[in-house]
Amino acid sequence: MSGCGLFLRTAAAARACRSLVVFTASRRPLRTSPPIRAFAKHLFLGKIEKKEVFPFPEVTQDELNEISQFLGPVEKFFTEEVDSRKIDQEGKIPDETLEKLKSLGLFGLQVPEEYGGLGLSNTMYSRLGEITSMDGSISVTLAAHQAIGLKGIILAGTEEQKAKYLPKLASGEHIAAFCLTEPASGSDAASIQSRARLSEDKKHYILNGSKGLTLSTQLECSGMILAQVWITNGGLASIFTVFAKTEVVDSDGSVKDKITAFIVERDFGGVTNGKPEDKLGIRGSNTCEVHFEDTKVPVENVLGEVGGGFKVAMDILNSGRFSMGSAVAGMLKRLIEMTAEYACTRKQFNKRLSEFGLIQEKFALMAQKAYAMESMTYLTAGMLDQPGFPDCSIEAAMVKVFSSEAAWQCVNEALQIFGGLGYMRDSVYERMLRDTRILLIFEGTNEILRMYIALTGLQYAGRIITARIHELKRASVSTVMETVGRRLWDFTGRTVDMGLTGKLGVVHPSLEDSANKLEENTYYFGRTVETLLLRFGKTIGEEQLVLKRVANILINLYGMTAVLSRASRSIRIGLRNHDHEILLANTFCVEAYFQNLFSLSQLDKYAPENLDEQIKKMSQQILEKRTYICAHPLDRTY
Amino acid sequence: MSWVQATLLAPGLCRAWGGICGVALTGISISQVARQLPRGLHCSAATHSSETALVPTPTEPQQRRTKAVVPYENMFGQAPNGKRDKASFLQAVQKFGEHSVRKRGHVDFIYLALRKMREYGVERDLAVYNQLLDIFPKEVFRPRNFIQHIFIHYPRQQQCGVAVLEQMENHGVMPNKETEFLLIQIFGRKSHPMLKFLRLKRWFPRFMNINPFPVPRDLSQDPVDLATFALRRIEPDLSARVTVYQTASSKDSTDVADPTQPHIIGIQSPDQQAALARHNPTRPIFVEGPFSLWLRNKCVYYHILRADLLPLEEREVEEMPEEWNLYYPMSLDLDYARHGWDDYEFDIDEVEEGPVFAMCIAGAHDQATLARWIQYLQETNPALAQIPVVFRLAGPAGELQTSAGLEEPPPPEDHEEEDNNLQRQREGQS
Repeated sequence: MSGCGLFLRTAAAARACRSLVVFTASRRPLRTSPPIRAFAKHLFLGKIEKKEVFPFPEVTQDELNEISQFLGPVEKFFTEEVDSRKIDQEGKIPDETLEKLKSLGLFGLQVPEEYGGLGLSNTMYSRLGEITSMDGSISVTLAAHQAIGLKGIILAGTEEQKAKYLPKLASGEHIAAFCLTEPASGSDAASIQSRARLSEDKKHYILNGSKGLTLSTQLECSGMILAQVWITNGGLASIFTVFAKTEVVDSDGSVKDKITAFIVERDFGGVTNGKPEDKLGIRGSNTCEVHFEDTKVPVENVLGEVGGGFKVAMDILNSGRFSMGSAVAGMLKRLIEMTAEYACTRKQFNKRLSEFGLIQEKFALMAQKAYAMESMTYLTAGMLDQPGFPDCSIEAAMVKVFSSEAAWQCVNEALQIFGGLGYMRDSVYERMLRDTRILLIFEGTNEILRMYIALTGLQYAGRIITARIHELKRASVSTVMETVGRRLWDFTGRTVDMGLTGKLGVVHPSLEDSANKLEENTYYFGRTVETLLLRFGKTIGEEQLVLKRVANILINLYGMTAVLSRASRSIRIGLRNHDHEILLANTFCVEAYFQNLFSLSQLDKYAPENLDEQIKKMSQQILEKRTYICAHPLDRTY
Repeated sequence: MSWVQATLLAPGLCRAWGGICGVALTGISISQVARQLPRGLHCSAATHSSETALVPTPTEPQQRRTKAVVPYENMFGQAPNGKRDKASFLQAVQKFGEHSVRKRGHVDFIYLALRKMREYGVERDLAVYNQLLDIFPKEVFRPRNFIQHIFIHYPRQQQCGVAVLEQMENHGVMPNKETEFLLIQIFGRKSHPMLKFLRLKRWFPRFMNINPFPVPRDLSQDPVDLATFALRRIEPDLSARVTVYQTASSKDSTDVADPTQPHIIGIQSPDQQAALARHNPTRPIFVEGPFSLWLRNKCVYYHILRADLLPLEEREVEEMPEEWNLYYPMSLDLDYARHGWDDYEFDIDEVEEGPVFAMCIAGAHDQATLARWIQYLQETNPALAQIPVVFRLAGPAGELQTSAGLEEPPPPEDHEEEDNNLQRQREGQS
């Protein structure tokens, strides 16, 4: 099946990987189109790069057939043979289940075909994620293995390293883990304590240190939270991507500590791991501490360049995120099915639950979230699958933030529909709720990713409009007049037109209102970004409350774009139930529009909606005393 | 004479009268003073604050007490077991009720009782105050017509009532419903004691928690506990750890070295520890003190371990590591800074001071004791071994002692002056 795919696939992501292999000498694939500029960064300038997101990315019919052939057995396996409750209770994935997963090829989904993997494109990988998310623990184990564990070898490995390790990793004979964070460091790379020093014969590095996060899943991530000191798959893995400090001689001759990435086999000796940690959710995944004591790592196992580990780590982390969207969307779709079944059969006061407005509202919410999430994920996957190496890390981060939060919210609501029943240990929802909680934490906590989204975009926009800001600061008459004039013009409430709608518009007329809303939001977002940069300059990194809002607006804008693009396509090619899609898309856009308006007004300096000062003061007073300081309501002074 | 002048004169007159009476007319002085007072009551609150008003102060009435108040004095001395507590106080009050059925001399008795309260340790007991007020005959002093309303009615009694409330105020006792009821019964709604009562009711609750750093009413007698409390009070960092390095040897019988070993209690926060570890060992650090800290009526002396502020050119600029945050850029690479209108720190003028590394409270303020403290500190701060420590201790005469054993030359003259100034400032602040 993969053989014919090799010839037939055209724009698929796998191509990027394959081209890497084909043109090994140059390492850089041929570029025929101008360099790809990411869509999200342009939103910061108040512009919509239509070409990037319209029309909605598609895959060929052959690919579709191929993947559906593959999906069948996997889905069958998950529904019939995986006992999620047992995995959760015992805190372990049974060996036979793991063996079956390996034989299905699920451990090498994105490993190029010449190394024995399936070489799936990002889109196809996402599609498969919808199925594997039927069990949280398995999903996390797989992701820790391939989304980050072996990703380093694919992204930065040499030909020899790939040939040596990838086949066994793809078959699942070896499981990979990603060892970056440490008990003391979290996402603070500067405090990494693990050290590797070159042996005297210069053939080995001697590695020492203990790594917290070796679950073969993705529990690594951000260090803001203590839970992140553990490594997913730490107990199962035999290949580790380890980051340690090494001494590097700088160009100016000074010796500096820099991070280097290594591929470490368990057989190198000195690798031990603690006992698996007991967790709130995804209990079947294996998370434990891993220690390295005088582990001898051959020099040829350095991943990337010596001292270049930081970049490698960042690339791995940024590339692994987008797939959460499809996994959550798959879960939500099954969730809607299950809860709808219940709501339509259970009777209260002689009425079905489904007849109550408050219950209906929850279904609408779940459907909207699932729709937006799917649209965002496949849009991002489609962008990533384009030739070249498009930088979609902001988009991927947005998908992660949106989908993890939506997942938590929706599972919460679903459990609410079940009421007391859902709270019981026996119900599926209790486990889902626990499993879902980790999504907000790993792969970079949502707080950290919001900072990433906002700061990366602001950095981009800040460079582009540097000249303008300098002129404004020097109060050059023409620029100031232009700005004032534009403000006045904006003040009249003019409609913004960026060409999404209209005669040659890319958005279908039935979504015209929503498209106009998106254009308006984008335009004013661009203005706000300019004002923010003018106000805070390079110190904007300290304004976390501002950055959070910027990120929220951007996530909403991206969601709006994604649903508009997808719904337009659905109408035009006449997919089933596209009228429902229009409804979902329009509702989502209106809601997002008003949220954006609110956030934008909060970003105004003197807006009454802006409570930042009060928020800071409140928390300051509490943190100073490290306690809740109000008197008890029953206290009295006389 | 206008009312204003009268107001101004009243306190003076009172004082003059008091003086004269005190010398010449000891027997009747209280009534004389009281006769002057109503004017003050009528006119302004200013006279109230005059110290001659209200409860006659202990110094002044000393001679009076010997004669006029003698009979009541006996009542207080009559407790069966000689114990002075609430029960015996109430017994005395009760005895007065039995002794004088018509309540003759109750004002004098109440003044005496007010003075005695502290001895009996009941000065903060609301029930006792209510008992005292209960001595007043009921309904007798209530004004019955508008003329009585206008002119102060039974001024001496009202004055006495105010004195009771004033003493409650001074000891922070909040009157309750019973007090109100008694006052209404005794003086009526529109009387001066009632006014005082209302003011107490209004202001007490508002001021009760005005101090953000409250000191408990009863401080521990144990010097170690007191020192711990004092150190916690000075140290703003809540993660600071108090360490009892040694306790006074009198309790500690196993101690062999020094029979007069004083207690040493120190406090140090993790940040201070880190700062000390970073300290450049070529620069000396100083033990300074003693500085005083008042806790209610107790004074404790503390010492600090500090260094001078580094001169500008020696300060290290903290470098931001290039590879720091894996997730987002810690600083943006832009060449424009914050706009002036959003820079709220432009006009904040901060006085920079050298770092303080640790504080201690010791039983003795001599150098030997403090050297012990430094030794103990060294256990948790190994860096101290390399850093020269200079003792700058203000002796009783305010002179500085320099350590003889260290190579550091004694600090130059002007330094000392500065330090003295600094110390004076600190003392002023504390």
